[in-house]
Amino acid sequence: MRRRNFLQWAVYSTAALAAGATPFVLSRLLAPAERLLARRHLRPPGALKNDAEFVSACIGCGLCGEVCPPRCILFHQRDGGAQVNTPYINPEEKACTLCGKCTEVCPTDALMPIEREKVDMGVAQIDRSACYPWVDRGICGACVSICPLGEQAINFKQWNQYQPVIQDGCVGCGLCVEVCPHPSLPIRIVERSQGSVMRHTV
Amino acid sequence: MNEALVNKSSINKAAHKPFFLWKHLNKLRWLSLTIVFAMLVLIPFLHVYQTYVSAHTYDLLSGSEKQIYDAMEWLTSPFVDDPEDQLDALKGNTWSGTFGGVQLSDPLAVLGQLVSSQAFYWPFILTALIPVILTIFFGRFYCGWICPATFLYELNSNLAVLLRKSGLHMGNKRLDHRLKYVALAIGLAIAVITGSVAFAAIYPPAVIGREIYYAIALGGFGSGVVFFLLTLLFDLLVARRGFCRYLCPGGALYSLLGRFRLLRIKRIVESCNDCAKCTAVCEFGLDPLHDEFGQECNNCTACIAVCPTNAMTFYFSPQDIANQGPGHLGRKYKQNNSVFDQDNKMAEDA
Repeated sequence: MRRRNFLQWAVYSTAALAAGATPFVLSRLLAPAERLLARRHLRPPGALKNDAEFVSACIGCGLCGEVCPPRCILFHQRDGGAQVNTPYINPEEKACTLCGKCTEVCPTDALMPIEREKVDMGVAQIDRSACYPWVDRGICGACVSICPLGEQAINFKQWNQYQPVIQDGCVGCGLCVEVCPHPSLPIRIVERSQGSVMRHTV
Repeated sequence: MNEALVNKSSINKAAHKPFFLWKHLNKLRWLSLTIVFAMLVLIPFLHVYQTYVSAHTYDLLSGSEKQIYDAMEWLTSPFVDDPEDQLDALKGNTWSGTFGGVQLSDPLAVLGQLVSSQAFYWPFILTALIPVILTIFFGRFYCGWICPATFLYELNSNLAVLLRKSGLHMGNKRLDHRLKYVALAIGLAIAVITGSVAFAAIYPPAVIGREIYYAIALGGFGSGVVFFLLTLLFDLLVARRGFCRYLCPGGALYSLLGRFRLLRIKRIVESCNDCAKCTAVCEFGLDPLHDEFGQECNNCTACIAVCPTNAMTFYFSPQDIANQGPGHLGRKYKQNNSVFDQDNKMAEDA
């Protein structure tokens, strides 16, 4: 009798647990492949490659922000944890124009002067299922016309077709993200290691 | 008998006044603090003005933005022709900044960066050279004469006086002043562990400089303001100037650097009358009346300004002098030395 009660209890509780876990398991199984996250915290141009190194070199004086002509450099607050007061650029609000003033003023050389073609803030990535020209919703070309690096960074797929294609020379300044008229921002900046310039995964 | 009295009164009247602004040094200090604070407010406005200039957008600016533009143009046009580039000579705050092309940094910033990155980067370390040399000569002068947080903290302690007069109880606990060395050590340990100069976020002058910039140029205060308001409350409710005296890591570093400072304040015991106003006025809770200055004194000259008999002066020495005993114009000294008793006896005899 006792054993039977126990077995019953065990079966019921297992069923309850399984029922509870089902949604999580299903969502885990049915979830699409992980999308590339749009980077909203780009380091200013010329930042040390290793981010931990950059954070340890930066004293948070804010000089880079104080010389930035478009005032695009923001500073981590509580969200940054140990990175508090270190600079970042959110291209969705205001993007870097690659003027390089911040690299000249940095006292600790956490930002080092660098040629604008060799800046590495990431690489732009286009979502071809949303971008207006790519889904035949009109002519746009805002990203191509704003790009400070020109044809070597972003270009149209073919002459007279306004579908933008990222090229090898993209340094990830994010101006294209800032000007993109589409509300879901089908163009975004991703890590260079994650971005495939030619493949354009969605 | 008369000679003795005459001598004493002559000491009292021949005021110790090496130069004409001697009694106004404290006001000069306030002027210096105000200028530094005003610069911290002005520099972000200059930056905003520069961004407007570089974007050539005067016609697109809103009314208040145009006001900023016009005001800054009026301020700077006598000095610079090309504001977009030339105003870059004046940037930053007291944590690190360029002042007329000279890069200066807080020694604490250099020390923090050194331990967090564990690398010697000489161009940056040398930016703290001038402040370090000045600190070795003048001690914690930064805390009294430059620190933008001191400006607000002293206003805050004036507020505490007002509140106390209106009957509120304001705290004035005495903690151990060595707490701030512990704070410095913990801050450096955190810098080593996290690999970031995170304690810049709890160093009031750096916080003030940054937050003013955030508020003016980036459209809102950051999280540092909350911390700063907490320190103001700490100063009001727990200890007068408590953060500077007991917790400030920068103050700890400056105290250590200024341990053997050359410029010190001394009490001229011959003209002191034991009124203890110097001890009452000292923001850092030191005891000038008993010659206790130590490495905490920031040469703020408040005691020089308040002394009714001009018994406070600067002198050069790497060491404080030992307690000189009661002031020679005070009652205690007179009782001990009984000069006046003899005088009185002589008078009675006559």
